[in-house]
Amino acid sequence: MTRWKRLLILLSIIGPGVITANVDNDAGGIATYSIAGAHFGYSLLWSLIPITIALIVIQEMSARMGAVTGKGLAALIRENYGARITFWLMAALFITNLGNTAAEFAGWAASNELFGINKYISVPISAIVVWLLVVKGTYRIVEKIFLIICLVYFVYIPAALLAKPDWSVVAIQTIKPSFQFNAAYIALFIGVVGTTIAPWMQFYLQSAVVEKGIRKEEYWASRIDVIVGCFMTDIVAFFIIVACGATLFPAGIKIDSAKEAAIALAPFAGKYASILFAVGLANASLFSASILPLATAYYICEGMGWESGVNKTFNEAPQFMWLYTILIATGSLIILIPNAPLIAIMWISQVINGIMLPFVLIFMLSLINKKELMEDYINSKTFNRIAWSTTIIMIVLTMMFVVSMFV
Amino acid sequence: MPFLGELFVSEILRKPVLDPKGNVLGRVKDFVIVKGEPLPKISSLIIERKKGLFNVPWTDLNIFNKRIISAKIYSEVLQPYKLNDEDLLLVRDILDKQIVDINGVKVVRVNDVKLEGYDTEAVLIAVDVGMRGIMRRLGVERGSEDLMKLFKRHLPYNLISWNYIQTLEPKLTTISLTVPRQMLSELHPADIADIISQVSHKEGATFFKDLDVDVAAEALSELKPETQVDIISEMETDKAADIIEEMPPDEAADILSDLPMDKAKEILESIEKEEAEDIQELLSHEEDTAGGVMTNEFIAYPPETTIREAIEKFRKDAEVIETVYYIYVIDANEKLIGVVSLRDMLLADLDAKLLDIMETKLKTVGPETDETEVAEIISKYNLVALPVVDAEGFMLGIVTIDDVIDRLLPPAAKRKRRKM
Repeated sequence: MTRWKRLLILLSIIGPGVITANVDNDAGGIATYSIAGAHFGYSLLWSLIPITIALIVIQEMSARMGAVTGKGLAALIRENYGARITFWLMAALFITNLGNTAAEFAGWAASNELFGINKYISVPISAIVVWLLVVKGTYRIVEKIFLIICLVYFVYIPAALLAKPDWSVVAIQTIKPSFQFNAAYIALFIGVVGTTIAPWMQFYLQSAVVEKGIRKEEYWASRIDVIVGCFMTDIVAFFIIVACGATLFPAGIKIDSAKEAAIALAPFAGKYASILFAVGLANASLFSASILPLATAYYICEGMGWESGVNKTFNEAPQFMWLYTILIATGSLIILIPNAPLIAIMWISQVINGIMLPFVLIFMLSLINKKELMEDYINSKTFNRIAWSTTIIMIVLTMMFVVSMFV
Repeated sequence: MPFLGELFVSEILRKPVLDPKGNVLGRVKDFVIVKGEPLPKISSLIIERKKGLFNVPWTDLNIFNKRIISAKIYSEVLQPYKLNDEDLLLVRDILDKQIVDINGVKVVRVNDVKLEGYDTEAVLIAVDVGMRGIMRRLGVERGSEDLMKLFKRHLPYNLISWNYIQTLEPKLTTISLTVPRQMLSELHPADIADIISQVSHKEGATFFKDLDVDVAAEALSELKPETQVDIISEMETDKAADIIEEMPPDEAADILSDLPMDKAKEILESIEKEEAEDIQELLSHEEDTAGGVMTNEFIAYPPETTIREAIEKFRKDAEVIETVYYIYVIDANEKLIGVVSLRDMLLADLDAKLLDIMETKLKTVGPETDETEVAEIISKYNLVALPVVDAEGFMLGIVTIDDVIDRLLPPAAKRKRRKM
């Protein structure tokens, strides 16, 4: 194969991995990274390297299963573990993603308030736009729009440059692991890890690979897509931490949310940095708010055996369209209720996220090692060791994350 | 005959299989499926016993139903079973699999499989692709039905008859339909009837409610009399009347005569007057006589009518009348004096009169004639319809060949002709 041909294939395949990884930097993720930078400076930067590796290991397995079996994760679980397990898994994922969707709309509302736009205007408009995108759009257009949105994440790079960090310190902190044995640091460390890998991502990535019709012959390109995506995600996280770590940390400013981070940045890095942060948050929130409900509707229908697809109508795929509509409508309406218990909603969805993750990862590992499904593409022994260790560490940390939310 | 009736696979999974003394041989794990006429059938049960798998051939079973499964053999003679790729296994290869339509479009998933007793075999009759199937798998079918009742709704049955499913091969990843997706929703009324006879009659009524009146009428007339009665009794009177009004009067009369008196009366009152009178007249005859099976819609003109006029009239009348192959000739006293076949009429000179071309040596029967005798006459003289006249020679109606065939062939026989 000529180099040009390979490049063309790569360009046509790229999408699912990059999109999935970027959605991971949602409103909650950006808040966590901002807080990490503001409260602990650069001292959590090193964790991004192992996190990137873990993310690649897990996402790669999803993409591989999609390309080899031609089936989504929910379909594989249904066909191999039966209706009962699938039903409860889907029910749990519906609830967490309803919570997550609400959290994304909350992030969108917060970023719009920075520009002086009332949430009673911004949230309904965004909900309708997001809904129409899928109901009226086709997969090809939707994916193109999503890929362009991924580029907007790079606003965090100029924001970090405006913060004028000491790059030599940043470089050292990035490669030198350090650890602080205090509760706040540990909690945030777990938080950074916990927001990185969410159960729904594996479902979405695998379905997107299947939907795009990627076969095992083109899998090499899909793997590059996944790796590029994971790097993009953590590069963005890196610059968020640097921006906050260079300005808010030395000044000792404590923040609780991404919105506060954007406001607090203005005196130190200038109003442009502040605006870039606000744009980044708005972009990330809206992006995740459009993908989460879509992904959820997709894999629930896949598992339950209902018709689904972006190009379908309400008549052709009623369950799919209703799930999607209910997720967006409920997710956005919750935000509009005066004094809505937003923190509690996010809290519950994070807890269920954490509880679901071990199950999903173990299902994935057991499926990917089935010779009759994966043929020559099952995990190698070495890869299995890496994957299992990653999984166990993720499970332990996520469990700690869940427990810490109760403490 | 070990198996009578019908059941869903999920209802018997993990059920104990007993030996003749009532000891547990093992638990139902899977079923080996083989091709069969008319439908694929179970050739053996695979049971799990202390982590080992064993094969129990269908012929070694004694009782097989929802409540109890027992074998004629003891544990000592159980044959071990080794999973292999040659056998087609119901749970492993069919349950939970994706169903795609003929164009490869993903449609639905197999939530459950329905078995039915056929001769001495258990055949795969349909796949359940609906919510009810999922609820049954979760073990909450009854509970969710009760819940839906609170909202005055029914949990819908969504069965796809096995006739629409492609021949199965072992180790399949998806199951294909033999028809495109759209066709499933535009089933022929006879096929709808087929599906309805597979669901419980209460649900059949719900199913009917969503059909177009004319489709419903046609589907209803394809059903067994007991099923018809069950479905109509479950329905609201208005809806039932709409459907019955749409049916040919003889079939409508058949259904009404099987209904409880009150319900039949109620329905008759809601039907348009003219139609109701026709039906009432038919109702006065014994069911298994010519009078009981005949219809009083037929074409009859006076003998003086010219062919030109007759064709003109025929064009209008034939629109609403079911059987039009014979034009009966009746005199001023409504006495039947002759018959002209449609063919003869079309071939005749336009200025001729019916009187000139009619056949006067008619075969007729009285209303009390037994239906078997009617069938014999129709068969012997190769008729499409046979007129029914009273003692004075007044024409009462006609018995058509399709009515006779339906009477003679039991509904089960219709299914026999279907292939796997």
